[in-house]
Amino acid sequence: MLLELDHISKIYGDLHAVDDLNLTVPEGEWLAIVGSSGSGKTTLMNMIGCMDSPSKGSVKLEGRKLEDLNASQLADVRKNMIGLVFQKFYLVPHLTAVENVMVAQYYHSVVDEDQAMKALERVGLKDRAHHLPSQLSGGEQQRVCIARALINEPKLILADEPTGNLDEKNEKIVLDLFRQLHEQGTTIIVVTHDALVASCAQREIMLNHGVLVGEKWNDEAARKAYEAAGGRPASTGAQVEGAQTGETAIGFADPTKAAKTGGED
Amino acid sequence: MTNTGMFFRMLFSAVFRRRSRAVMAVIASLVGAATLFCLAMICIAVPQQMNQEMRAYGANLIVTPTGDAGSGAGAESDASSSGDAGSSSGTSGTGSSDAKSTGIDAAMVKHTTEMVAAKGSQKHATYRYENVRVNAAPYVMAGVDAAQVRNLNHHWVVDGSWPTAGKVLVGRDVADAMGLKVGGSITIGYRASDNASSSSASTAESPESDAASQSAQSSQQMRDGRVNSDIMDTTGTEFRVAGIVDTGGSEDSIIYATNADVDKLTGVKRGVDVIEYSSGASDLNALVTSINDMTSMHVKAQQVTKITASDTRIITMLQTLFWIVSLVVLVLTLVGVGTTISSIVSQRRNEIGLRKALGASSAAIGVEFYVESAMYGLIGGLVGTAIGYGLASWLCVAVFERAIAFNWALGVASVVLAALVAVVASIPPVHRATRIDPAIVLREE
Repeated sequence: MLLELDHISKIYGDLHAVDDLNLTVPEGEWLAIVGSSGSGKTTLMNMIGCMDSPSKGSVKLEGRKLEDLNASQLADVRKNMIGLVFQKFYLVPHLTAVENVMVAQYYHSVVDEDQAMKALERVGLKDRAHHLPSQLSGGEQQRVCIARALINEPKLILADEPTGNLDEKNEKIVLDLFRQLHEQGTTIIVVTHDALVASCAQREIMLNHGVLVGEKWNDEAARKAYEAAGGRPASTGAQVEGAQTGETAIGFADPTKAAKTGGED
Repeated sequence: MTNTGMFFRMLFSAVFRRRSRAVMAVIASLVGAATLFCLAMICIAVPQQMNQEMRAYGANLIVTPTGDAGSGAGAESDASSSGDAGSSSGTSGTGSSDAKSTGIDAAMVKHTTEMVAAKGSQKHATYRYENVRVNAAPYVMAGVDAAQVRNLNHHWVVDGSWPTAGKVLVGRDVADAMGLKVGGSITIGYRASDNASSSSASTAESPESDAASQSAQSSQQMRDGRVNSDIMDTTGTEFRVAGIVDTGGSEDSIIYATNADVDKLTGVKRGVDVIEYSSGASDLNALVTSINDMTSMHVKAQQVTKITASDTRIITMLQTLFWIVSLVVLVLTLVGVGTTISSIVSQRRNEIGLRKALGASSAAIGVEFYVESAMYGLIGGLVGTAIGYGLASWLCVAVFERAIAFNWALGVASVVLAALVAVVASIPPVHRATRIDPAIVLREE
């Protein structure tokens, strides 16, 4: 498994932002983490992305326990294994599109402008490479963000509401890009409350107030392959009503899905 | 492109594509550098100017003959002399040996002057003192080179003109006592007995008078056949009053004539009794010691403590004041630059968080910001130093009426200091920024 979460919790005082979650993600899987605002999706993503540490439990990435690593080693894991895509893009405002992509190369290994240009070409922005973020549309900025995330060929792409600030046209472009990356074998974890985005993933898990309340597979073949590889359904140790505590996945219906898909399911 | 190239590309972008913020940081450094450089330049210029100004108040070094016999001090006659007349220093020579009686001859004056000139700029004037009678009353007459005395004593206020052949410059006290006016006449008699006698006509007057009273004691008994002991004799040589000098000091009791006129009046040519120097030597003590160590010269050098001490005291006070002000400006600059850099760093929290999320180490981010701060300091320092020099030049011309040359060492120090201050000021905000948890920043909490 590429990622293993073992009874992880993130606790702020009395608040359990993430409550006793078990989850495994094999290499090449596209997983969507869904839930309403404040359900703990982003907190979970930060823990997976080495930007936050769990209060309890253990996170393993490619078999390495993240809690055993110091800040510098965590930074190394981030730059070597993970590509980050943000809802608000977070491009450096005074650097051009290509320079923003090259920043990721700079901290990773060696800067290669040609490679950065190819990454931009891949997301359809070669002709906008020398524009500043302020000169790009939201969709274009998100595509630069994706180019930056994939420039170092990470094993795992973490995307936090990647289409949250985009119109439908740009949303489609971004989802197509994710689809391409997935087909090339990249593991993708998308945090979203957008049912359409979630439905593009092979597997969805749902959080509610930090507790796992459901899991479903959108790709039956992927599920079988997962189970054949020894994968087990996600679960939680939290003893609350509706929690998915056992070995059986609890399906769920996304209330926003009908609206987004026009009632097709 | 190499990583180093990318580093400078990011730096260039941060500075030149975020011009408004960069300008704020540069201006903060610029103001500090300009103020500091201007103050430092004035700190250097003021002592030089003060030194020059103080030297206009007369000699800071006097040289008199010693009591030892010798060839240097006195050669042309056996006229006796002593003391340091004419000086406002208050020092005086003593004794009346042969060496003193003959004074310091021209060659020794030249040699001594060369020694003084070797240690720095110098101006000098020589004085030969004789006791004379005017209307039977005893006065001191000094033989001088008018140009030298004028050049040395800028503070002398002369009504009329300086002495020339047949014309004398009389002190204010002498003029008042005798009701003399510029253009009037004065009859001066030389009495060998006055100069032969050890009694002084000026015991309470001044060192000058004391010196002059002893100056011609024995020589006249030996050489001058015109010895006249009649104290009521009012005969003498008539001179015109070229001018009246007012110094407020002992000089006001003396009659100044050219050396040639004094020679002619006394009938004796001899060396001078005092050489006064206004020396620009940085270490006047060392100069005095070096002259006094040369015993074969038969002269004795002394500092005019009144001038040198006040000069040093005023300069020290001014320098201390300027350095304190500079220190305050430095602290204010540090606060100003620190606040500006802190504000810039705060505005870039998201960017720092992003860089950390992309895998940047705290050290890497720190280096980027420190170099950027140094660049602001460098640009501000360069422009500020140029402005500071312009300001210092203008001040020096306006206040001191003198131009100042650009001090390159100070210029380099100013630029380096500006860069250093910018870096030091950026340490706390950058340190805080590099401790930012990327997850918190990217959540914008």
